Amino acid sequence: MRKTWGRYAFATMLVTGLIVSGCSNGGNGNSNEKGGNTGDPKSSGSAENAVKTEGFPIVDTPIKLKMFTRVAPVNGPFKDMPVFQDYEKMSNVKVDFIEAPTDGFAEKKNLLFASNELPDALYRSGLTQLETVRYGAAGQLIPLENLIDQYAPNLKSLMDQYPEIRAGITTPEGHIYAIPGIVTLGSARTDKRWINKAWLDKLGLKVPETTDELYEVLKAFRDGDPNGNGKADEIPMTARIGMPIVYQMAGAFGLDSQLGYNINVENDKVHIWSGDEQYKELLMYLNKLYKEKLIDPEIFSHTEAQYLAKQGTGNVGYFFDQTNNNFLTIQDQYVGIAPQAGPNGDRLQSQVAPVPRDYGAFAITSVNKYPEATMRWIDYFYSDEGSTLLRFGREGEHYEMKDGIPYYKEELLNVAGAQAKITPYAGGGAPHLISDKVASFINPPQVQEAYKQLEPYLPKIRYAPPLFDEATAQKVNVLRNDIDKYFEEQSTKFIVGALSFDKWDEFQSTLKKMNIADLEKLYQDAYDKMAK
Amino acid sequence: MDSMIENAGAAPVPGRKRKNDGLLRKMAKRYDLYLMLLPPLAFYLIFHYGPLYGLQIAFKNFNPAKGIIGSPWEGFGHFERFFNSYYFWRLLWNTVSINLFSLLIAFPVPILLALLVNEIKSRAYSKWLQNITYIPHFISVVVIVGILNVFLSPKTGPVNQLIEAFGGTPINFLQEAAWFKPIFIGSNIWQSMGWQSIIYIAALSGVNPQLYEAAKMDGASRLRRIWHVSLPGIMPVIVILLILDIGHFMNIGFEKILLMQNNLNLESSDVISTFVYTTGILKGEYSYTAAIGLFNSVINLMLLLLVNRFARKTSETSLW
Amino acid sequence: MEKSISPSNERLFDAVVYIIAAIIMVIVLYPLLFIVSASFSDPAKVLNGDVWLLPQGFNVEAYANILQNDKIWTGYGNSIMYTVIGTVINIIMTILAAYPLSRPDLPLRNGIMVLITMTMFFSGGLIPTYLLVKDLGMVDTMWALIVPGAIATYNLIVMRTYFQNSIPWELQEAAHMDGCSNWRLLVSIILPLSKPILAVMVLFYAVGHWNSFFNALIYIRDEGKYPLQLVLREILLISQSAQTDGGSVGLEKQILLSESIKFAVIIVSSLPVLVMYPFVQRHFVKGVMIGSIKG
Repeated sequence: MRKTWGRYAFATMLVTGLIVSGCSNGGNGNSNEKGGNTGDPKSSGSAENAVKTEGFPIVDTPIKLKMFTRVAPVNGPFKDMPVFQDYEKMSNVKVDFIEAPTDGFAEKKNLLFASNELPDALYRSGLTQLETVRYGAAGQLIPLENLIDQYAPNLKSLMDQYPEIRAGITTPEGHIYAIPGIVTLGSARTDKRWINKAWLDKLGLKVPETTDELYEVLKAFRDGDPNGNGKADEIPMTARIGMPIVYQMAGAFGLDSQLGYNINVENDKVHIWSGDEQYKELLMYLNKLYKEKLIDPEIFSHTEAQYLAKQGTGNVGYFFDQTNNNFLTIQDQYVGIAPQAGPNGDRLQSQVAPVPRDYGAFAITSVNKYPEATMRWIDYFYSDEGSTLLRFGREGEHYEMKDGIPYYKEELLNVAGAQAKITPYAGGGAPHLISDKVASFINPPQVQEAYKQLEPYLPKIRYAPPLFDEATAQKVNVLRNDIDKYFEEQSTKFIVGALSFDKWDEFQSTLKKMNIADLEKLYQDAYDKMAK
Repeated sequence: MDSMIENAGAAPVPGRKRKNDGLLRKMAKRYDLYLMLLPPLAFYLIFHYGPLYGLQIAFKNFNPAKGIIGSPWEGFGHFERFFNSYYFWRLLWNTVSINLFSLLIAFPVPILLALLVNEIKSRAYSKWLQNITYIPHFISVVVIVGILNVFLSPKTGPVNQLIEAFGGTPINFLQEAAWFKPIFIGSNIWQSMGWQSIIYIAALSGVNPQLYEAAKMDGASRLRRIWHVSLPGIMPVIVILLILDIGHFMNIGFEKILLMQNNLNLESSDVISTFVYTTGILKGEYSYTAAIGLFNSVINLMLLLLVNRFARKTSETSLW
Repeated sequence: MEKSISPSNERLFDAVVYIIAAIIMVIVLYPLLFIVSASFSDPAKVLNGDVWLLPQGFNVEAYANILQNDKIWTGYGNSIMYTVIGTVINIIMTILAAYPLSRPDLPLRNGIMVLITMTMFFSGGLIPTYLLVKDLGMVDTMWALIVPGAIATYNLIVMRTYFQNSIPWELQEAAHMDGCSNWRLLVSIILPLSKPILAVMVLFYAVGHWNSFFNALIYIRDEGKYPLQLVLREILLISQSAQTDGGSVGLEKQILLSESIKFAVIIVSSLPVLVMYPFVQRHFVKGVMIGSIKG
């Protein structure tokens, strides 16, 4: 008996051992196949295979590139997208995408750099400014400014046309480590202001031109039962969760959002307005609206899905969104209006993104054997033609031309989710050009009309967030972590009345204690150094 | 500690023979027990002790491009930054208080539930109770918070409609700091009491039925039997779980809090783990995060040692 | 002297027990019913708070959607495989650790326990662990999800406590006297006596594997190897995403859809583990010990 047990136990151990060693072997074999990231030796740089500076194919002998990319939940695999299939044939560059889902993308991206398992390029990578500066300084990302000059004619001409692009992507040392997604279509850079025209008409009101008139209109929405169901269930005004309502109304109080922060720039002077009197006025105004239930009471807790659902019900008086996609079935009820003028006569649409809207969308790493070809490869998407291919797919199959611009075919739009499977722009952050030539879907007539209302009140130039050197970026990070959190939390409390305006002095002095002056100085320096 | 690592895993080391003669002989006699321990110890050494060198980034300025070893030293800078942070005391208080309340209120609930299950005579009924209470464990936090949003909505939520029906004014539960902790802990209890009671139910099933019979003979009432037989029967398990819970005192899962957090309840919902996530991990500040994590661990460990010692003295049950 | 237990008292006690149990069940069930109802309802009605007990705008689109989703089925298969293999390894490893450490006569046992308990508090962090797993060649294989978590220290401690407290030491000593080796003692005496705790451990580990996603998030690249939870998260997270980036066609439709299928997904993905419980529970049978001690 005893022996049998011993043998049994030994056998168990043996089996366990086999399993363990078996798995590690299997694992090793696998990693050898997939681990090597240093490019495909078969196709490695033959000198004759020169990169052409214009025309296609980019190279005569096909080459292979490995790109790390983010896949949004709505997308399918990149290899099934018409843009990459067709462009491979056209360019002779085969791209193998290493796809990481949006959830966990940031972790995977950082691990690539930390473990030095670099791909040839990062596509739709959403690199932060600190990341690009850090990895650039460490030599993991290569500087692109010369490559852009020689191999990216489309991008270069965009940068000449819009100087704020270069300013927004060049480090203080003069390097460019990442290419942004570029949005020349103004309408895609700002939310429209949608007001319920049906309610206005029913109550015999005109479009509010000032913040005071807005207040009266919202009150009428609340009390006049414009939806006619006999219940006071109308939502006079709503917005995305949290701070957006503040930035939507900031322009009426003369507060702009330059350099990607609470900043006004006047006469080359950078000023952070977080503790200013005008900001107090804005908060008091919003507090008045909130107290009187003119702002959605769920504005600080509802989810994105709930917000979109509210838009679709037609039961909201006034809200903000870039397109009319969320309320297409009842779109006639709404019109886009101009921003309101504030008590001091300020009238500004300050919630506007810069032309280089999506920072860090594309970058090339040091293991890439064909940086020139890679640059040419990406440059195509900064032309209207390339962007059309990226956003719309194949003519005839996915889109058709009307009046010179592409429109999705009805058959495609009618299949739920099909459009997002054919283009990597769905889900955001893809490195390409968004111009009025490729925006039929996001810029239909109603949206164009709404944008026209805003246009007179847009800031003359919108500076993108500046690039700091690594040490400064770290400093800015530390300062902003505390300041932003405090600013947002206290602002919210002022609005809902959880904090009385008696505490305004304390708010100001705490901001001072958190060294907001130092932060202003850092932004001023960056602004001064910026290539303008 | 070093010698423990060596001795524990491997066969006796000859060089030390003279010193540890008695010990070695004892160990050799039970060599097969060490043989059993071999795979688990190898696992701990490789997967837990191996990566420990990573802790040093708490004292460095970690730069992914340079790696852990190559990053420059920073000393105690990250710790100072955390201690000097405007939010330090608030974070500490919220972390401690949420855990303390959880321990006081939520910890006993699964025990009570297990005792209740044990008292139900109908097998079918007790099975129903167990099966139902354990289901919520499988609902993801995202959905739990979604349900909380729906139920507690000031306009449409059933809770507020009930309040209004009784003539009260609706409460915006999710936006009031004072309500955060009760809602958080209450929904935690709802979600995990059944699941956590499983260990206790299993332990109760191991209690010798003869003890109950004997108590019954002595005329002990049901409550007395619970008090004198059931509870002592599972006391070791209770003590160990309590120690483990206290050992995790400072770690509350950040996911649920993060989803419930908004600027209006931040006053009472801002805890160390969410702070680490939002300012550290999302913004890529690995070193700062590691420093805060280390601070957390050290406090936890001290608590654990304290409680373990206390438990050993009073109840003869302890981790070691 | 003897206190007599009156039958009426006994019955009153039972009544109280049953009533409390009933109340608990109602409290727990209500939100669960809500989830079921929501999964059969029109998503817009759920978002607007019209659903509070019974389905509104009854439809089964959500389930139809899930049935058509290949990703979910692949994830299902993967999760089952990872759970079964992972749990077997967990149980073997945990027994191998817990049993020797439960023996009061094991030299250095406290030292080893300290060593093991420490690991609950200090970890090297994501990056060194990733590098280790990578060097072992386990990235993008299922072993990355199984081997680094082969033992959960918490479970190890619970199991060891059970061995220590529920199995009389005298029994083991007696077996030793009979010349029983430690291996045999473990397999033929200890384990049969430990069915309740083994059942709990199987449940804990299996559910842990079933619900885990973080390791897969970090280590698995090939979508064909994704466990169910990652697929699920993608579906749930789409409704969290704050940026619609104006105009990916129908994203808002997708958000609403995912809002509706999320409840159905919860139900579908929880079924296997829900079904498991009654089977496991069977092993919590009283008197296991007594029988074997006597016999």
